[in-house]
Amino acid sequence: MATIDVRGLEREYKSGLKAVRGIDLAVAPGEVYGFLGPNGAGKTTTVRMLVTLLRPTGGSATVAGFDVSTEPAQVRKRIGVALQEAALDLLMTGRELMELQATLHGLAARSVRGRADDLIGRVGLSQAADRRVATYSGGMRRRLDLAMALVHEPEVLFLDEPTTGLDPTSRATLWDEVRRLRADGTTVFLTTQYLEEADQLADRVGIIADGLIVAEGTPAALKAEIGLPHLDVTFMECPDLGHARDLLLAFGKLRPAPDGVDVSVAVAAGAAEIAPVVRVLDEAGFTVAALELVEPSLDDVFAEKTGRHLEGAAQPAATPA
Amino acid sequence: MSRMQLAVVAALVRRALNEITRVPGAAIPGVLAPTIFVVGLTSVFGQVDRLAGFGEVDFRTFVVPVGFLQAAGFTGAATGVNLARDIERGWFDRLLLCPAPRLTVLTGVVASAGLRCLLPVAFLFAVALATGVPFPGVDGLLVALLLVMGLASTLACFAVTLALRFRTQQAAPLMQMGAFAGVLFTPAYAPEELLAGWLEAIATVNPVTHVLAGVRQGFVGEVTWGDTWPAGLALAGMAVAFGAFAARGLRRYSS
Repeated sequence: MATIDVRGLEREYKSGLKAVRGIDLAVAPGEVYGFLGPNGAGKTTTVRMLVTLLRPTGGSATVAGFDVSTEPAQVRKRIGVALQEAALDLLMTGRELMELQATLHGLAARSVRGRADDLIGRVGLSQAADRRVATYSGGMRRRLDLAMALVHEPEVLFLDEPTTGLDPTSRATLWDEVRRLRADGTTVFLTTQYLEEADQLADRVGIIADGLIVAEGTPAALKAEIGLPHLDVTFMECPDLGHARDLLLAFGKLRPAPDGVDVSVAVAAGAAEIAPVVRVLDEAGFTVAALELVEPSLDDVFAEKTGRHLEGAAQPAATPA
Repeated sequence: MSRMQLAVVAALVRRALNEITRVPGAAIPGVLAPTIFVVGLTSVFGQVDRLAGFGEVDFRTFVVPVGFLQAAGFTGAATGVNLARDIERGWFDRLLLCPAPRLTVLTGVVASAGLRCLLPVAFLFAVALATGVPFPGVDGLLVALLLVMGLASTLACFAVTLALRFRTQQAAPLMQMGAFAGVLFTPAYAPEELLAGWLEAIATVNPVTHVLAGVRQGFVGEVTWGDTWPAGLALAGMAVAFGAFAARGLRRYSS
């Protein structure tokens, strides 16, 4: 049974704007589901409906087995939420906020302090726990927000653009925490506009545009749908480019070579083809100056499905170890 | 209310009181305003107590209870403004995501007003005693404090309704105007028999008039059941009405 089960979910505002136009999705227990789309696509509206902050105007959704419309309190008991903006009371200390959150989620008074301390330590804020949140950096606030979302050990965690605007170190910390949660079996619903984030963290990705899911699957499957990876080969000097093309044709279909590249060939096996290609070219006397394996990106998938590029695609994403 | 719900209410009240201790400067205007109002008004209109209708009561003593009600008005309106700020910053969503019934969250928000209003009331009361206003008696003070705390929470419900409707601090003037109109369109400055025209008409039907009479009774005479129950009834009626509006606003907030 899916932990998150959404059928024909719709949200139409009083102005007539249909932000979500009938989406279907299912997230399995323990899965990290990346919900990808540009600003205004309907990501946040969908999340707000799933976490019971906004009532759907059509369709249905269950989270952890409970209907978001008819059993919202049961849903709220089982979910943790870190919304787009880390909503924190800047006058309180990190520890006070953790303890308040624990109380709001019904933890017994005797266990509040211990649980707060555990989570503060887990997100690396022990040193700053007794400082007011106003003095925290953006990354520290995000980490505290995540810790607060975990205070009652939720079955399902909703993260709405958790790393937007974060520095690479803070992003790496959050990614590590998401990986740890996956390892612990927590189901994570992650909205993001960063392709690399979805690629790195998500088991499956749903791409939303204009309130509709336009593609869904594992990142690898989605990328495979639109084409194979290809090798771009550049030679030191190449007196017989035709012969080189003939040799590479054995590995796959030739593609138009981009500027500065001599030959581009589609390779079904991806990185596994690099060594054989180099060997064949070497044996034929060609000296390779550069060889690059280019994988189709999720942005290519998005562009294929919607005719547009994701806004986040152009942004440099950090690559945490 | 379950133990968990009480803990939630207590936690939200503590958070609201936190603001006073963490940013005392922000609380100063609200603390001083009722006292400045009473001192200023007494300085200008102090001789008005020579009119028939005031009896033996001097004007300062007559308007101190109005200052108490103003403190309730300030605090109630401030509760709405603070909620609007919490909505703007996303904090209110965090509260709505807690599994406790949403009416518990609402109770926590408005209950804080009842406690916060005691600060300006205590300051005004101290100044009043220091400047010669007679002690209203333990029963008079107790009744006054209970009614003022109740009024602050009731006016907080009114302000919270507006905050949930407009979701912006820009609605603050509406919250303040409503609270002060309720307090001032009463026999605030003169006994009922001296009022005339539209003010008399409004004061006659304004339930806050009864609350003011209940708060004022210990200052101007004896505490009687005849002045206390109408005040309690009027306050209960307003609390039910504004509480229902606030609850409806909360239901609509997510729809």
